Amino acid sequence: MSESPILSVEAVTAGYGRVTVLHDITLEAGRFGNVGLFGPNGHGKTTLLRTISGLVAPKSGHVVFDGKDITGLSARAIVATGLIHVPQGNKLFPDLTIGDCMALGAYSPRARPHESENREKVVKLFPKLAERWRQRVRTLSGGERQMVSIGTALMSHPRLLILDEPTLGLAPKIKDELCAAVMDISRGGVPLVVVEQDIEFLLELSRQLFLVDHGVVKTEIRPGESIEHSEIMAMYFGH
Amino acid sequence: MSVFSDIFFGGLFQGSLYAMMAVGLALVWTTIGVFNFSHGVFMMLGAYFAWQLVAFGLPVVIAFPLAVIVMAGAGWILQASVVRPLIGRPNIVLVVVITTLAAGSLIENGALTVWGPRSKQLPSLIEGNTTIAGVGVSLHQIAIIVITPLVLAALWSFLNRTRLGLALRAVAQNEDASQLVGLNVTALYGLAFAIAASLAGLAGIFMGGYRFMNPSMGADPLLKALIVVVFGGISSISGPIFAAYLIGFFEAASNYYFGLYWTPALLFLVLIATLMVRPEGIFASRSRGLA
Amino acid sequence: MTLLDIAIPSAPGRVTWNREAIGFVAGFLLLALLPLVLGDSYSRHVLIMIFIYAIVASNWDLSLGYGGVFNFGHLALFGIGVYVYSLLAKVAGIDPWIALLASGVTSTLAAVLVTIPILRLKGIYIILVTFGFAQLVMQVIISQSDLTGGTQGLVRVPGLYLFDHNMIRDGKLAYFYIALALLVASTLFLRLFVRSRAGASIVALRDNEEYAISRGVSLVRQRMVTLAASAFFTGIAGAFYAAYQRNASIDVFGMSLATIILSMVLLGGTSTIYGAIIASFVLTVFSEAMADFGAWRPMITALLIIVIMLVYPSGLVGMIRAAWALVTERIKRPA
Repeated sequence: MSESPILSVEAVTAGYGRVTVLHDITLEAGRFGNVGLFGPNGHGKTTLLRTISGLVAPKSGHVVFDGKDITGLSARAIVATGLIHVPQGNKLFPDLTIGDCMALGAYSPRARPHESENREKVVKLFPKLAERWRQRVRTLSGGERQMVSIGTALMSHPRLLILDEPTLGLAPKIKDELCAAVMDISRGGVPLVVVEQDIEFLLELSRQLFLVDHGVVKTEIRPGESIEHSEIMAMYFGH
Repeated sequence: MSVFSDIFFGGLFQGSLYAMMAVGLALVWTTIGVFNFSHGVFMMLGAYFAWQLVAFGLPVVIAFPLAVIVMAGAGWILQASVVRPLIGRPNIVLVVVITTLAAGSLIENGALTVWGPRSKQLPSLIEGNTTIAGVGVSLHQIAIIVITPLVLAALWSFLNRTRLGLALRAVAQNEDASQLVGLNVTALYGLAFAIAASLAGLAGIFMGGYRFMNPSMGADPLLKALIVVVFGGISSISGPIFAAYLIGFFEAASNYYFGLYWTPALLFLVLIATLMVRPEGIFASRSRGLA
Repeated sequence: MTLLDIAIPSAPGRVTWNREAIGFVAGFLLLALLPLVLGDSYSRHVLIMIFIYAIVASNWDLSLGYGGVFNFGHLALFGIGVYVYSLLAKVAGIDPWIALLASGVTSTLAAVLVTIPILRLKGIYIILVTFGFAQLVMQVIISQSDLTGGTQGLVRVPGLYLFDHNMIRDGKLAYFYIALALLVASTLFLRLFVRSRAGASIVALRDNEEYAISRGVSLVRQRMVTLAASAFFTGIAGAFYAAYQRNASIDVFGMSLATIILSMVLLGGTSTIYGAIIASFVLTVFSEAMADFGAWRPMITALLIIVIMLVYPSGLVGMIRAAWALVTERIKRPA
């Protein structure tokens, strides 16, 4: 159970312009399976993910993915390593069809050979998408868009999947559907790093949790350390 | 009957030229979100490159395509030098107006220095004249009327039927998400400019074949292309294409019924009135995106 | 050096009125003394042109920088000033000073008129419609060639007069001081305006439209007020330009003049008023200094504009502010 971490963030400082959001943050992920990140809004979770996937260049520190230093690589180069980030929200490509999005997901040379195999996976996971293959993203519901987001990422043939609040703002029924799909992906062998507000889901999904607060990891919960929902709630609000 | 065909051919011909110009402008706007005010200068440059190549002794069939290809390079270079460094600036729309205007002035004056102010003319695509439905037209004009829809159809299928075209449409809609599927955003921006410059260059070659060329020949077509793009909506490339032909016919009809002097004023009046009613243009959809 | 004096950076709330007033008076006093040093009519001509450009550019900064309204028809307001003055003074034979005032008023009215189609528009669409408006004005002028001379323009436009002073044989001294007085009046007006409540609500509207509207700022009224305010002295400057040049030509609607003036606004750094004025000096003097380069001159100017825009996003005022910060730092903490 103590393999080397698939992703490690070492003393990363990052932000936008003069505003620093992440202060010397360090965490290791993937040694014990899926990783969950939680914490109050506006404290750097999304920035952390954006830094990992190369959308934000860190001011200092390192990001290492599967033994390879990916700090400062372009987002495109990082996608090529198999680290795939599903961004928050469901803006996506409003005027592309679902089929277009899937084709885009398989854009990188690494994913191209697996295109048809991955498409089958996506269709199996989200049968709803197959029904609306030629429909534009803007005409879809919030839950369906989230499916397109995740499906697009799966088309990129991920070796590690980063999900930023996959269930944000969804109705309970569709949310359960998505949660089940995410669990399925995990069982299929793709390790996950998930930011999520729904602690129940996070506890079910991941074996290692990080509380991100004020741009640093405030608490790390490792497997075996049993933890109650109430304790997490206390961490959330106890500052 | 002859009046009708006169207006019809005139409108078709002008519309073709406008469409050729406007599509490039719209392509750059939708992908990068900036207006390229050196687009008219691209047109001039394409015509002069073609003229130079012909002057070197190359046959037209080689010189013209070569000039179009060289223009793609010129578009790429312009994008890399005066647009790409500004991406991410909060006031990018405004600053790019200035940098492209300045770059346009630089190129125009450069052309003046290299080629001199004396008017030049390109060989026609096809020599000769013919009469159709009682109207005398040159074969050059016919060629333009035929070639333009073909080129635009090719562009449309490139955007809609190829993965690279899909990538270009994707970048136009969401830059972050494009990066996260591994698209090379800067290269795609360069590509958009390269295609736009090529199309402008081709329009320049069309124009140089029936009218005298001079270094400031691009100013008026740029203006018309701007109107077309506003009129058709800047959120797609099909809108401006329809608008280009519509304006071509409008001008031809207005020239006939109201005279040359009043046509531009009428056109602008119609434009402003249209925008008051439909601010996004008449053929616009709601968002930025190529289709 | 006069440039630095009027260039003391001033954002609302940062520089007190007193300090700004001192800089203002000192700067313009120095300008007023310039003819003592520069006796030749060529230098005075360059200065007069600078003053005209400075008025047009700084007023543009009001709508563009402060208002965030991309009014690309600003030069049409200038052109309206040129033609209204020329037509009134020449064709209608009205007193030049009254014609001058009437030009300012007409431009203001035109600006109000332009506001109507752009009220519902945003960003790039405003650029295109106002651009269209400028072309419309030009086309109307060209088409009415009986009156306006069409593309030929009008010549022998009456100049201004000052009592019995001979305006022609004074080495342009009178025109120099009239131009300077107009610049002083315009700048004073602009600074007072942007530091007033109206100015504050315009900026609020630019920076957060929804919030400003929810706080009771009227988009319609403020846009109209901004554009109208930016038009008056622009029209006056156009009239003065016609009176000074003694002619009117449609060149004022052309791309090249618009490019130069817009570069002044952006080079100076938007939302400063002073920046545009400084940039008018720098760009005009630079351009004149290169008169010997002939055809290379516009190319070098264009290159300079591109380089400054790429390197200094906040323009010359940003440059000066950075330098000023460095200087005050040194003074506070001597090394």
